Amino acid sequence: MKYDFLDPDALARLGAMPLEARHAMTGSVAGRHRSPHRGSSVEFAEYRKYVQGDDTRRLDWKAYARSDRYYIKEFEADTNLRAYFVLDASASMAFSAANDSRIQFARKLAATLSYLIINQGDAAGLSVCQEKIHLEIPPTRRAAQLNNIFDVLAKTEPTGETGLVEALHAIAEKTNQRALIIIMSDLFCDTAALADALQHLRYRKHDIAIFHMLDKQELEFDFERPHRFIDMEDQTSLVAEPALIANDYRHAMQQFLIDVKSACHDVHADYHLITTDQDYEKIIHDFLSIRLPKKGRK
Amino acid sequence: MSVSFLQQSLLWGLLGVSIPIIIHLLNRRRYRTVQWAAMDFLLKASRESRGKKKLKYIIILTCRALAIAALIFAIARPLLGGFLSWGGSNIDTVILILDRSSSMEQIAENGDESKRLSAIKSVQLSLQSLNNPKLILIDSASAQPQSIPSPDALSELSATAATDTKASISALISNAIDHITENSLGSTEIWLASDLQQSDWAPDDGRWDAIRAGLADLPQQTTLRIIAMGSAVTDNIAIRTLSATRINNELSLEIEIIRSDANSSSAIPVTYSINGNRSSETVIFDGQSYKYTKNLALGNREGEGHGFIAIPSDANPRDNVSFFAYGEGTPAKTYLISEGGESNTWLSLAAAPPGLNDNECSLLSPQQADQIDWAGATLIIWQAALPSGPIAQQLNQYIETGGAALMLPPRGQSENSFLGIQWGDLLTSPQGQYFIIDDWNRADGPLRNGIEGTGIPASKLKAIKRRDIIGEYTTLAAWSDEKPFLIRRVIGDGTAIFVASLPDYTWSNLADADVLLPVVQRMINLGDSRYSSAFAAIAGSSKAKAADGEIRSRVDAYQQSNSSNAAYEAGVWKIGDRLVATNRPDTEDEWLVLDQNNMEALLEGIDYRLFEESANSKPLIKEIWRALLIAMLVFLITEALLCLQPKSEKKKT
Repeated sequence: MKYDFLDPDALARLGAMPLEARHAMTGSVAGRHRSPHRGSSVEFAEYRKYVQGDDTRRLDWKAYARSDRYYIKEFEADTNLRAYFVLDASASMAFSAANDSRIQFARKLAATLSYLIINQGDAAGLSVCQEKIHLEIPPTRRAAQLNNIFDVLAKTEPTGETGLVEALHAIAEKTNQRALIIIMSDLFCDTAALADALQHLRYRKHDIAIFHMLDKQELEFDFERPHRFIDMEDQTSLVAEPALIANDYRHAMQQFLIDVKSACHDVHADYHLITTDQDYEKIIHDFLSIRLPKKGRK
Repeated sequence: MSVSFLQQSLLWGLLGVSIPIIIHLLNRRRYRTVQWAAMDFLLKASRESRGKKKLKYIIILTCRALAIAALIFAIARPLLGGFLSWGGSNIDTVILILDRSSSMEQIAENGDESKRLSAIKSVQLSLQSLNNPKLILIDSASAQPQSIPSPDALSELSATAATDTKASISALISNAIDHITENSLGSTEIWLASDLQQSDWAPDDGRWDAIRAGLADLPQQTTLRIIAMGSAVTDNIAIRTLSATRINNELSLEIEIIRSDANSSSAIPVTYSINGNRSSETVIFDGQSYKYTKNLALGNREGEGHGFIAIPSDANPRDNVSFFAYGEGTPAKTYLISEGGESNTWLSLAAAPPGLNDNECSLLSPQQADQIDWAGATLIIWQAALPSGPIAQQLNQYIETGGAALMLPPRGQSENSFLGIQWGDLLTSPQGQYFIIDDWNRADGPLRNGIEGTGIPASKLKAIKRRDIIGEYTTLAAWSDEKPFLIRRVIGDGTAIFVASLPDYTWSNLADADVLLPVVQRMINLGDSRYSSAFAAIAGSSKAKAADGEIRSRVDAYQQSNSSNAAYEAGVWKIGDRLVATNRPDTEDEWLVLDQNNMEALLEGIDYRLFEESANSKPLIKEIWRALLIAMLVFLITEALLCLQPKSEKKKT
């Protein structure tokens, strides 16, 4: 295979699981996802009174026979899903202590999920955001889209400071139709600004999923000796005795996670805190499983 | 309280204290560089950690350094005690000066053993802690240095046993300095165990200058460590015989009882033993001292005799007895060398009042002075120009050997000088005025108050003529213009008294006042003691020692004595043909302790340490390595606790 972030076996194992949208989508074609519009699917939605201009074929004659009134029987419209992968490509995404770097892990997740999405007939697009560059591949359901996405994923190298917040605002502005926005980032940005951007997306009725990607070492901060830490984004450095600052660091990290979770919770985002030492296949499996409709719902 | 070390060289290991700090600094320099994404949290944590965490880390570093320091100190075997100062443990030789004067037998404060024993035990324990350096003992009785094989032997030696002697601290230190110099001893310390009795230390002794210079001149700095057993004397009563004079068939004992507690009345049972016959009586008195005369009947016994007076045992058993011995009674023989005149009559009468003790007075002119029987003379009264030539030499020798001389001014001017004293100009009082006595010594000298406290009416004396007294002397009575009336010059064992006027109506009313008789009689008593003093000696003095070929045996029944210490013990002895009663010196009953200022003045410039022992024998120093190991453990545990990361926080992430 051309792309090292794709595992055919994993794709085969995950292929049986559909990606479901948690909210009604407004796709361009019929698909497997609920639409806010009434359509011609087999899923009954409601009765409404006949008004002039309605297709007489949709009159419920049995209801007319019982009540001598004209009712239109409406069915749920099923449509396709548009998924936007928003990939943070700031320099901090290159961080790796022992496992894959965040960007490598994000590539695996994005590539696998986009494969699954397009494979089930939905549209997938990619938005790569950096400080100054905001590269977008609009979502389509064509099979060739996969190659576009994979090429961009392969070529994207983390650099500069993050432009995630700006990118989310831009996506919210530009994307009129409801979509599934899948964010892959370390979220190392201003939490308040991030919350604002998420609110913006939610306001546009997008379904938001967030893969918050951190390294285990970033969480545990288990250094022994003094280290000189160089900021990956702006290259500032700090010489520190880890033993002295570990507790305060962990405390600050905890507060950050709480703030991020709170922001995600406020917008009903599907938040996943993952570390790069985890099995990405299991992460996707869990992600898909949790989105499956509950028994009896559909 | 200071600390010294047995393995002082190991203290170089203290440089190891810097190891944790060096490691810390090296670690800080040898940091690893990592690319880090979550920099904001790091910066925030770094800002917050700057205060208390840095302090915590400093405490951890300090604990590590202190743990190493405690370990080094422990293996250097520290000794705790004010006795040894820094570096004091590195000793090759200890010269122990042991004061074993009778005052050292006082029970130590809060203890049940004497100051001497307490000091010895303390020294033993301390020497064991010092890896038993070579020990030289200089005891106060013999004053001779002797090598002691082991500190354990100290308490068994006769050279450390109790004595009735005094101690001359300055002489003992001088001997120690001489010993160090002669034997080229290495690192040496002088340990002095003393009760700081002022009379033993004799601050006026001229040797102290030599001691200061001697110690400073030693090739190695020698520290003088004083084990001061200077606790106050309490619950102690001492008895002593001031004189024992045979008068016909009676022995007249002048006795003094002294006690440490002056504020109460005491009834003290006194036992008198003479020639084996014992009697006792209870003496009741107030105040600190009490003098009285006790006449003991001798019956028809002739020849020599002896005895003792004793009181019950108390805090110092050595001063509860006083021994005496006496010989045949001899009449007091006074020689009056006079220019003639009225004064002869009065002086003769004063020297030999009719019917008193068979006293005799022989009148001689200065030219007949060669007829004086010096050996049989009790008192020489010299009223003439001061002697010169052979007579002066004989009179000088007479006084030096314990004789008494009363010198009165000549009528004519004389330039002669005797004992460094010269008669000055004749002074006559203005018409209608008199020279009168304004001040005199009521406690000492011939004008002292009587035993019952009755004063001599010297103020009634009026003089119209007098002579100045020129020279160095001790004034015992002075005219109102502060010129001397009666002075004393002590030469050897004897005394010369100079009186500035004559018992002559053209000079003064000395003849009819109540002054001349007591002065002359007291001088006779003083001279008489020369004979009785033949039977008395101070323990440890040359008179108390047996000459070559003489055999010493104790004849009193008070107690047995240690034969090797006999010369230093009080008792009645037959030494060859002599009968000698030996007692502790009077100065041992003066319980004045050398004060701090005096000691500092005496030992100025000397490297000395004072260790004041107040309780029972304890080591003057003790090893404290165990405490240091415990301290090290505490530091390590503290360090470990501070280093422990709070696991619960880690799990939260």
